[in-house]
Amino acid sequence: MSEPSVIPPASVVLVSGGSRGLGLAIVTDLLTNGVKVAAFARTVTPELTALGEKYPDHLYYGSVDINDAQAGQAFVRAVETALGPIDGLVNNAAIGQDSLHVHTSADQLAEIITTNLTSPLVLTRFVLRRMLAKGLKGRIVNVTSICAQRGYPGLVAYSATKGGMDAATRSLARELGGRVLANAVAPGFFASEMSAVLGQTQLDQIVRRTPTGHLTEPDEVVPVVRMLLLDQTNINGQVLVVDGAASI
Amino acid sequence: MGEVMTAQGKNLPGDDTADLREIGFRSLDFSELALRVEDELEAELNFDAPGLRRIATVGDVLDFIEQLQSA
Repeated sequence: MSEPSVIPPASVVLVSGGSRGLGLAIVTDLLTNGVKVAAFARTVTPELTALGEKYPDHLYYGSVDINDAQAGQAFVRAVETALGPIDGLVNNAAIGQDSLHVHTSADQLAEIITTNLTSPLVLTRFVLRRMLAKGLKGRIVNVTSICAQRGYPGLVAYSATKGGMDAATRSLARELGGRVLANAVAPGFFASEMSAVLGQTQLDQIVRRTPTGHLTEPDEVVPVVRMLLLDQTNINGQVLVVDGAASI
Repeated sequence: MGEVMTAQGKNLPGDDTADLREIGFRSLDFSELALRVEDELEAELNFDAPGLRRIATVGDVLDFIEQLQSA
């Protein structure tokens, strides 16, 4: 039987894909709560740069392609030097999809799977190795999607990768018992994403079918991520859906 | 191995036949130990789970690490 153990709040959190959208919102929220944060993305945005100027001692950021494992590992080492050992990881970086499976090339499938599944697992492995080698406990939050649990056209490969991350979350929780709390947060569709893909009629229909009457906003997901990283809970190996009950 | 246990407020018994479950040395503790050895060797020590499951005593841990180092 596992010994009871308390996993302390994360103090240095690495956020992949932290330059815009939900990732940027998570970075901002953690900084506001006094947490040291490291963020990378393929492209550093003016918003992330501004945060770096506002929180020079608490934010370390840079341009890293998550599919470049060596660059990712070098970034992790640089973060350890700048902020201290990483004890929190938010796997947020991902690419979307908007193409029917039969019209998605094999190369595009491979790119989606590499970016959304393989690379986060490689990054997680590296961060965990550093964590365990230092005898640290920590927390992992994987940002997945309602697509992992419900079917949506045009998102076959994307859904497969998010389902893969949900499954990995559960196994990580088992494998790392007592050392790491591993959970996933599965947002519903964001208003911004949906409006880019769907027409107003379809948008209105989805909103009508959502009991809370509105699509998910990043600011509604951020508190859940914060809770999983900082609060004392016994939540482990779970996928928390944030979609206003649109999917039930 | 002693350092890993000390970090958790436990003591490493002197007896190599001591049962790992009884002294509270878990599989993740073994992983931590292997990663510390990796740091010293500057090389990855990868091994499968069945090999790990055969480890039951302090002596088994020390033998296994020795085998990994010499492999």
